[in-house]
Formats: sequence, C-alpha cells, structure tokens
Amino acid sequence: MQLIVNGLIAGSLAALMAGGLALVYGVLGIFNLALGQLALIGGYGTWWLHASGIPLFPSLIGGMAIGAIFTWLTFEIAVAPFYRRDARIPLVTTIAWSMILDAAILLTLEERPRSILPGGKHFLPFDAVRISVEQIVLIGCTLIFVCVVAWVLHSTPFGRKIRATVQHPDAARSLGISSSLLHRIVFIVSGVLAACGGIYIGIDQNLTPTLAFPVTIKAYAALIAGGKDNFWGTILAAYIIAMLEQLAVGTPWWFGNYVSAGYQSIVALLFIIVVLLIKPTGLFSHRARAA
Amino acid sequence: MKRSLALLSLTALALTACQPAGGGTIKIGYIGPLTGDAASYGVDTLNGVKMKIEEINAAGGINGRQIEIVAEDGKCTGSEAASAAQKLVNVDKVIAIVGGQCSGETLAAAPIAEEGKVVIVSPVSSSPDVTKAGDYVFRDYPSDALKTKAMAKYFAEEKITKVAMISENTDFASAFRASLKENLPADAVVFDEVVEPGTKDFRTLMTRLKNVKFDTFFPNAQSDATMAAMMQQFRDQGMKQPAISHDIADSVTLAKLAPEAVEGMWVINVPTSGQGTSFETDFTAKYGAAQATIAFAAHAYDAAGVIAEALKAGATDGTAIKDWLYNMKEYKGVVGAFSFDRNGDVVGVPYGLKQFQKGVIRQVKGISVD
Repeated sequence: MQLIVNGLIAGSLAALMAGGLALVYGVLGIFNLALGQLALIGGYGTWWLHASGIPLFPSLIGGMAIGAIFTWLTFEIAVAPFYRRDARIPLVTTIAWSMILDAAILLTLEERPRSILPGGKHFLPFDAVRISVEQIVLIGCTLIFVCVVAWVLHSTPFGRKIRATVQHPDAARSLGISSSLLHRIVFIVSGVLAACGGIYIGIDQNLTPTLAFPVTIKAYAALIAGGKDNFWGTILAAYIIAMLEQLAVGTPWWFGNYVSAGYQSIVALLFIIVVLLIKPTGLFSHRARAA
Repeated sequence: MKRSLALLSLTALALTACQPAGGGTIKIGYIGPLTGDAASYGVDTLNGVKMKIEEINAAGGINGRQIEIVAEDGKCTGSEAASAAQKLVNVDKVIAIVGGQCSGETLAAAPIAEEGKVVIVSPVSSSPDVTKAGDYVFRDYPSDALKTKAMAKYFAEEKITKVAMISENTDFASAFRASLKENLPADAVVFDEVVEPGTKDFRTLMTRLKNVKFDTFFPNAQSDATMAAMMQQFRDQGMKQPAISHDIADSVTLAKLAPEAVEGMWVINVPTSGQGTSFETDFTAKYGAAQATIAFAAHAYDAAGVIAEALKAGATDGTAIKDWLYNMKEYKGVVGAFSFDRNGDVVGVPYGLKQFQKGVIRQVKGISVD
C-alpha cells in the first residue's frame, strides 16, 4: 500500500514533466529538451516569491507565471525560427538554450539547495500508510491539471482546432485557424506543466541547480515508452515507470532478497526496452489519432 | 604611429613573459566544486584560500612577490578535476595546489600533481584512499579511516549494535561505508543500501526500513541536498530512531531545508574550527556567511597557510615545498596546531560529537581517537 503511495508521489512528478514533453511533441512535432530547466525556473520562481514574504498561493501562481514567461522566451528564441524548416533543429537549439538557462540559474541563484516549504508536512494519522496533506494535494492537483489539458485537447472545439493544425496545417490555415498562435499557446501550456513539476520538486524534496537534465530524461523515457503520439499514453507510462521503480526495490524478488537500490532506474529502463521490442511504437500508440 | 605602438606593446608583452623566475607573481592553483551539487564546499574553501592569500599579499607577499590564485572548477568529479590539474600543472605552471575538495577530485588530481612534482594540499578531502595517493599529496583534514574509528567507538559507548545505512554511490560516501563496516562488528549494519548519486526519492527504502529492527539511522550522503531528502523522508515515515552522520551533515543548510527532521541529529566531525572566533567575523565581513560551514573555509585558509609558510622559508619548487611540509614541526592555524605524518595526513586535528539543537549545530563533547 505504502509502495503505491510512493509510486503515486514519484509518478505525479514524472507525469507533469512527461505531459509537458508529450504535448509539444504531439502538436508541434518537436522535442523541447530545455523542459527540465523550465521546471527549475518555475520551482525557483515560486521559492523566491514565497521566501520574500508572499503567501504560498500567490507565489504558486507567480511561479507558474514566471515559468510561462520563460517558456514563451524559449519558444521565440530556440523554437519559432527553426521548427517549420526541420523538426530536428529544435532538438539542438533547445539543448543549447538549456545550457544557457543552466548557466543563468547558477549565476543568479546560489548553489545551496532550496525548499519551498521547508520542514515537516502535515501527515495523516495512519501508521500503515504515511502520506501528508501536502502530498495528497500535489497528487490531486497533478491529476486534475493533466486531465484538464487532455480534455481540452481531445474534447473541446479549441482542442479540435489544435488537432486540425496537426493533421493538416495548410487546410487548417485556409479555414482561418492561426497555427502559429495555437503553437505558442500549446508550447506555453507545456511550460506551465513543467513549472508545476518544478514546484512539485521544490515542495516535496528540494531544488538544486543541477537536477534539470535528469528530470528531462525521465520524461523523455516515459514519452517513448507510452507512444510518442499519445498524450494519455505518455501520462500512463510515466506513472507505470515510477510505480515499477518503487516496486523494484520495495518488494522481495527471490528468497526474501531485494533488488539493490542502485539498480532502481535500470529496472525501469529494462522495462522500456522490453516494451519497445514487443511494440516499437510504444505501449499506448494507436496510429489513427495524433496529438 | 599606431603600428609602432602595437609593436611596442608586443615587445613589452614579450619582455614580461621572459621575466626571470625571481620576479613576478607566484601562482598557486585551486581545484574545487565551484558548480554542481557540492558547490557550497567549493565557494567556502575558495574564499578561505582567497582570504589567506589577500592577507599575505597585503603584508608585502612572499619576499616581495605577490601570490596569484588560479582557480579551476573540479565539479566534484574525478574527470573534471583531472583536466583542471592538467591545466594548472602544465599550462599555468603553478607551484602548489590547494584542492581538491571532494575526495574524487583529489584522487584524480593526485597522480598528475605527482608527475609534475607539484604539491597538492587538500582542505576537506577525507577519503582513506588519499593517504596513499602520493608523496606530493597532503591534507589538513583527517582521514575517514580515523573518523569511522571515532564513530565505531561512539556506537560501542552508546551500545548501538544495529545500524541502518543508506549510502550515495560516490567516492567519499562509498569509502566511508566500507571503512565504517570494517570498524564495526560483522553483523552491526542491518540495513545497507547504495543509491545512485543525486537520488532524492528514498520513500520505498524508508518503507522497507520501517520493518527492520535498528537502533540508529546513518544517512551517508555526498551533499546536503541529498542528506536533507533522506532525513525528511526518514522522519516522514514516522520513524523515531536517532540519526547520526558525518561531515556532510555538519551544514547549516540542513536545518533550513528540513528543520524538524534534523532536530536532535548527531554529527561526528572535526570541530567547527573558526566558529565564534575572529576568523569567522573577518570571513563573514568579507564574503558573507559560509555557505556550508565556516570550518571548510578554515581548513582551506590553513592549507594555503602551510604552503605560504614553505614559500617564506625559501622553497622555490614543488620538491622543496614537499620536503619542508614533511619536516614541519607544528603550524598554528585556525583549525589547531598541526603537522603532517609520513603519508601527508594531518596530525593534531581532533573530533567532536555535535548535535542539531533548535536549528543550530552545537558541539556536545570531544572524541579522542588513538
């Protein structure tokens, strides 16, 4: 039971990041590898606002807003000039941009780790399953946020416009849908998802300037395993991988022996390899649907 | 006119380059983690070195020559530290190096310094492996081999027989783990897991730990960010056992990140040298409060200090500095009066048992190791 809770806590973070990555890939067809840095900026932004005396809730909104602004900058600088020419160019430009952001984060923020809500959380009074009110809120908000994004994408007129630009950009334009505006909106929403991921790290663990890239890689893994073109699939895969990582070290596998914690991520990667061997398009990929 | 000016400045440049070794500045290298998770140690130690060198330069330098610091980022990894050492030894031609800080840095830089006959004095590396790293390798920070003995002694005194340990897979933490296990009875470590560097999610390990009978928890992390996550998640699971750790826990940042979780936690480390002395006042006035601990700055200050002493005594190359350091009777520094043994390990720096009390780290008593 505790293992499932642990998996949900880790999985929610992974889902936010993977969701951000999947959204941009699904609609724009590119990978934003500066996503981890945008998460950090969102997290640090919230920490900074909260540490300078602003109450938690406005700080959270502010952190997401700061994340959104930087995401928009990212789009204008590293993506917009290139992505129509070749979807592979942003792969390089976003990496370059992520390095610039990394350096900027190092210069402006000190090296020491930061926590948005330092100290003890409010734990529910059960001994069998330890979970705090804060964690429940984080898990809940993640689910709601991710579901809202998916719902908008799949079930609203706005979402239909987005999907139209994906399926046939020229036809969509001839019907009066501005794809460049839509792309900007989608990109910024993905950045806000990432910023939420950063805030999640800042509340649940602590922020250090170097954790951006590993976070991006995990999201990338979930995207590949879940099927590149399926938003829901990516989210599910993120949860599954997180759950597997917890189960891998949390349950005895043979004669009461546990997998050593150092091999935690290897188990998840093995899972991805096996999935791709059996179903190269990813777990939840179905060809007809895009975005 | 322009051309002749350019020519003139070129000649001037060439002339300064050809200056005999007697004049000009003396270069001392520095290697430490200036970026990355361990950067707070790098910032503190580099400031410690700067402070010493500025004092010497203000007082007229070494026999009239000023000292210049060439600082390189080791990023707490062996590969970065190795290229930093290559540059310092072969390009900058420094006469001595203060560094590395992380044990991995020092171990990687040591063979290069040895090859180039450049003395390297580490302020905070504590891995037992540094003892045998080479003739030119010194440190004014005691080896973990001693610290784990001190810890084992404490466990025996407090009748702690079951230790639960989670270690980060880095040079320092792994060496500490091995060395501690050597000094404890065979079955003393009842829970022993090693995680990848930088891991922040220990919840499942803590869930498992809950079903293990143990007396004390030993979070063996490489950085305070990881240590804070370990302690927080340990307490989150409702476990009440005491916790004890090493140098890394001796950081005020921990009390800021996880105040309730680290309250009452024990730390065995060298005394917080410099704390409450004029050294701390001067240091804080110049560089602000230490990011990790003032003791790191103090050890770095003294590491630069012994090198300067050797230079003042007339040493002009690495070999002379090395010989002078081995024969040094006693250096009265901020960390205490110390000398070096035949392995370049420090003699004369004791240990203290400290505790987090209301968010502040206080020394409870001294621990002697003989």
